[in-house]
Amino acid sequence: MNPSSSSLFGKLLAGRGSRQGLWLLPLVIALAMALWLAAATSQFGQWSNLANLVAQGMPLLITAVGQMFVVLVGGLDLSIGSVVSFTTAILALDLPGVITLPGVFLLAALIGATNGYCITRLNVHPIVATLSMQYVVLGITRVLRPVSGGAVPDGVRWMVEGTFLGLPLPVFWGIATILLAWKLLYGSRYGLHLFAIGGGVASGSSDAARNFGIPASRNIMLAYVICSLFAALAGVFLAGRIVSGDPNVGLLMELDAITAVAIGGTQLSGGVGSLHGTIIGVAVLALLSNGMNLLNVTPFVQTAVKGVLLLAVVALQSRKKIGL
Amino acid sequence: MSAFVSSPLFRRISKVPPSYYLLAALLVILFVARPQMLNANVLGVFVRQVVPLGILVLGQLLVMRVKSIDLSGGGIILLINYCISSGIFPGASLGFYVALALATGLAIGLFNGLMVAKRRVSAVIVTLALSIVLVGFVQYLSSGKPPGDVPKIFGELFNTRFIGLPSPVLFWIALTALMALLLSQTVFGRFVAAVGESMPAAHFSGVPVERTVILAHTLAGLMAALAALVQTASIAVGSVRVGLDLPILSVAATILGGVVFGRGEGGVWGPFFGVLCFAFLFVVMTMFGVGDAGKLVAQGLIILLAAIFYGLRAGK
Amino acid sequence: MSHLIEMSGISKAFGGSVALRDVSLALAPGTVHALMGENGAGKSTLMKILAGVHQPDSGEIRRAGRPVAFANPRAALEAGISTVFQELSLLPNMTIAENMFLGREPAGRLGGIDRRRMRQETKGALARLGLTLDPDMLVSELSIAERQFVEIAHGIDADADVFILDEPTAALNAADVEILNRHIRALRDAGKAIVYISHRMDEIFAICDVVTVLKDGQRVGTKPLAEMTPASLIAMMVGRELQDLFPERGEGTGVAALSVSGLRLDAAARPFSFTVEKGEIVGFAGLEGQGQQKALRALVGQFAPVEGVVSRRGKTIRLPVAKESGVRHWQALGGAFVPEDRKDEGLFLGHSVGQNIVAALHAGRPALKAARRYGTVIAETMRRLNIKASGPSAPVGALSGGNQQKVLLGRYLATDADLLLIEEPTRGVDVGAKAEIYRILRDFAEAGGAVLVLSRETVELIGLCDRLYVIHGNTVVSEMRARDATEHGILDAALSA
Repeated sequence: MNPSSSSLFGKLLAGRGSRQGLWLLPLVIALAMALWLAAATSQFGQWSNLANLVAQGMPLLITAVGQMFVVLVGGLDLSIGSVVSFTTAILALDLPGVITLPGVFLLAALIGATNGYCITRLNVHPIVATLSMQYVVLGITRVLRPVSGGAVPDGVRWMVEGTFLGLPLPVFWGIATILLAWKLLYGSRYGLHLFAIGGGVASGSSDAARNFGIPASRNIMLAYVICSLFAALAGVFLAGRIVSGDPNVGLLMELDAITAVAIGGTQLSGGVGSLHGTIIGVAVLALLSNGMNLLNVTPFVQTAVKGVLLLAVVALQSRKKIGL
Repeated sequence: MSAFVSSPLFRRISKVPPSYYLLAALLVILFVARPQMLNANVLGVFVRQVVPLGILVLGQLLVMRVKSIDLSGGGIILLINYCISSGIFPGASLGFYVALALATGLAIGLFNGLMVAKRRVSAVIVTLALSIVLVGFVQYLSSGKPPGDVPKIFGELFNTRFIGLPSPVLFWIALTALMALLLSQTVFGRFVAAVGESMPAAHFSGVPVERTVILAHTLAGLMAALAALVQTASIAVGSVRVGLDLPILSVAATILGGVVFGRGEGGVWGPFFGVLCFAFLFVVMTMFGVGDAGKLVAQGLIILLAAIFYGLRAGK
Repeated sequence: MSHLIEMSGISKAFGGSVALRDVSLALAPGTVHALMGENGAGKSTLMKILAGVHQPDSGEIRRAGRPVAFANPRAALEAGISTVFQELSLLPNMTIAENMFLGREPAGRLGGIDRRRMRQETKGALARLGLTLDPDMLVSELSIAERQFVEIAHGIDADADVFILDEPTAALNAADVEILNRHIRALRDAGKAIVYISHRMDEIFAICDVVTVLKDGQRVGTKPLAEMTPASLIAMMVGRELQDLFPERGEGTGVAALSVSGLRLDAAARPFSFTVEKGEIVGFAGLEGQGQQKALRALVGQFAPVEGVVSRRGKTIRLPVAKESGVRHWQALGGAFVPEDRKDEGLFLGHSVGQNIVAALHAGRPALKAARRYGTVIAETMRRLNIKASGPSAPVGALSGGNQQKVLLGRYLATDADLLLIEEPTRGVDVGAKAEIYRILRDFAEAGGAVLVLSRETVELIGLCDRLYVIHGNTVVSEMRARDATEHGILDAALSA
């Protein structure tokens, strides 16, 4: 290895010299986990388990990708778990899919816009705004569907359980999510502006991006809308999997999403992060769940382990600010 | 909107914490709808229900004044409840349980404080993650099933009365008065105000910023432990769900009481009345047939509206 | 003659304090226009209005004869006005090319961004300045000089014909200053108008054609530099004879209040020593950003030097000291540190005058002790420092700059400190308050205290201090008596080292 490539490697490892954050190390961890699981268990490499891994990880992938948009501008959305539950509850109403399917996205956009409006125009801290939204949406969900039940339209079910070109459909959900997010983040001026806004927020001058003529408030609001829309998409996917509405299905999903985003090297202070990092973060969490299932670890320990992981990841992200 | 916000009327209204207005409104509603409920005995029972929340709020208002937050109270309450009700310490005395609870709260609060002030981790994430770890841990220990009964002495203490008031309520009032003294009369109270207003200015004045934040979180942990003891006494049985919504309610009551991140105009009594609001809010809502789901919506809206109220004022 | 820009009757107030009052400025093509004035005279505010950062309360801006209004810096840039600010406005997490095109990215295929074009145009713009930086480099990886050149390239690429350079050389070394001056001359010869803000007289006379002087938010006058001398320019800025502003000098008592030895600010710098005696005011002079602030802040843990030994009240402290506890330890040893940035580091703007004054007194006591009221301390401090406020409970944020600065100073004088480290003692205060603050510092020294001060205004250091250390390249290069010092002498000492 010549000196220049070793320094490039060092830079990548430390996440410096680019604004993609530290993603190489989690990639190594994910690969190591996969290899170890393949060696330690006979089921891991089986086709059915891999298909299951993708299907199980899909809601996390979709919500984490959405969460990444608000984290990049230094925000946080704690309401997405409720939006996921809410979406399944709406889909399980006794209404035709042509109404409920567009309806859930419309409502999610409204929720995201309200979050964004409170944060950018009414000066409410993102955590407070989205936390209260979490409660409001969860309350409405429980009014609609106090316990799990109801039936979702067959079309939704088919979109999740079917196969195409010999591959299970969830694979295509994943590809579509990634392409859409890639287009928004890297293939548009909007994505570039998100990084700019986040960079300003992280360096303590929240007006920096505005000085370049970027309408920061509007862009931040849109980020919350996008985050909510991805949460609704995850809700549709989950509704297709559990074939019913469930007020608790999204419980704590916002924290899993934040954990995945943070593992993938995206800085919670904003401006630094990457889509591939987020995908890697999702892979780490999904492999963790899948591995513990294969090794018959109880779900309660899984919760605790994820909490420890989140603690460890954020403890490694140094920042200047004390507090929230 | 902005014209209203900058008007003298709004400024005068916004000087008084929203909790005072809301409490007055709730009492009026109660008085009109159920006058017979407005006697000391009935009110005492309602208020006794929110004592754990009230104690938790004392810690929450402290950390919120130094621009932090503590969402780990749910986990602490669950853990202590499990320790007391599961019988893993057979034959232990009340004193042992109290000491155990305080030690647990102290350790967790200290951990939160160190993570927030020294490691500079986002307080929301740390305390929420810690709560998840604790909940997972307790559920693992109990395999998700409710543990056993709480020793009788807890329930007996909980049901005593002094000078006509339930002793938990008196305990809460006494703690609140202590916290009010701590904040208004000690050097620590000055440090809290300084750190909340401006951390760099506090630092250059010689205020030990990190230590103040750590101490605030440690005290919040202790308050959570006390809240756990009262909560455990009040339900008399072990549970794997108890107290999980208290942290968020405590944030709501604190904001309602006029204490927002970094600022403390509402003092200690504003949030105190904020807690009373929740006591009567739930009574009133039950009275009008609103279920648990509706209460969730109301909680969310109250936090949001109170935060908007202060957000608009800070923006001016 | 047609002007590129005419600003007339511009006024601007922030809250209660007036920053600009009825100021006019006209920029002709092919000139370098110096904007001079003391700190807080309103130069930066005027330029921020021209750059679209602030909007004027009243007055008019004409661009080539037509009235214009800029809602934000982007609008100003589109109108051909490019700014290099003191505090850099580039985004650190974006590449050079992205910063150059932020807000006006060229469209690519499918609604994307034409990154290749951005890269090529950036390369071209950089090349015109003789720079060979990679357009894909993050701005956070650039040196401060490189960032400033990128900002200038940004303006050139946006086809600007008015360039505002706000203290562009503050952080540059001599070689970079020479490169910058070459670029400025090239711009001038191309018919552009350049506004140049600097505190360095030699630069002003070397490169500028016309000078406008501001004082206390008002225009003193505009003159061709050919008619001026450094002395007459300073007289114009200060508005009165300098001697009137500063109190009588004092004399050290020969007893060291502070001695520092072997202080090495960075691995490459030569270690140096300095002392401050009881009864004297000592200043750190030299070009800006050469290590003066680092040396001062190292004493209170706000900068970590490689090594150094501090001796104070018979105690020996090894540097670096811990960041979190540095200020407290310094105060425990009877020292005080007055930070430069009154609004961000100094005052609790939402708190009252009284609370601000006693903050350091409280900080010196154990956390769980009962808080004292300090009513007499507050009253005495307000009286002694002549702080004009409606009372001790008035919010400090509503006071004028001078009174705010006195409150800040009062906080540290209220402790029984006998050694004062003070950064920019008179930043953004009017001339009257300046004289008062100088008097307060001198009284403090005469009562046996010691003061170590740093300031961007060399004139202030010469007038106020008894002894000066000239710092350059993170080390002391010369020591001189202030009564014998001149701006030119200090510059010479700095640059010939």
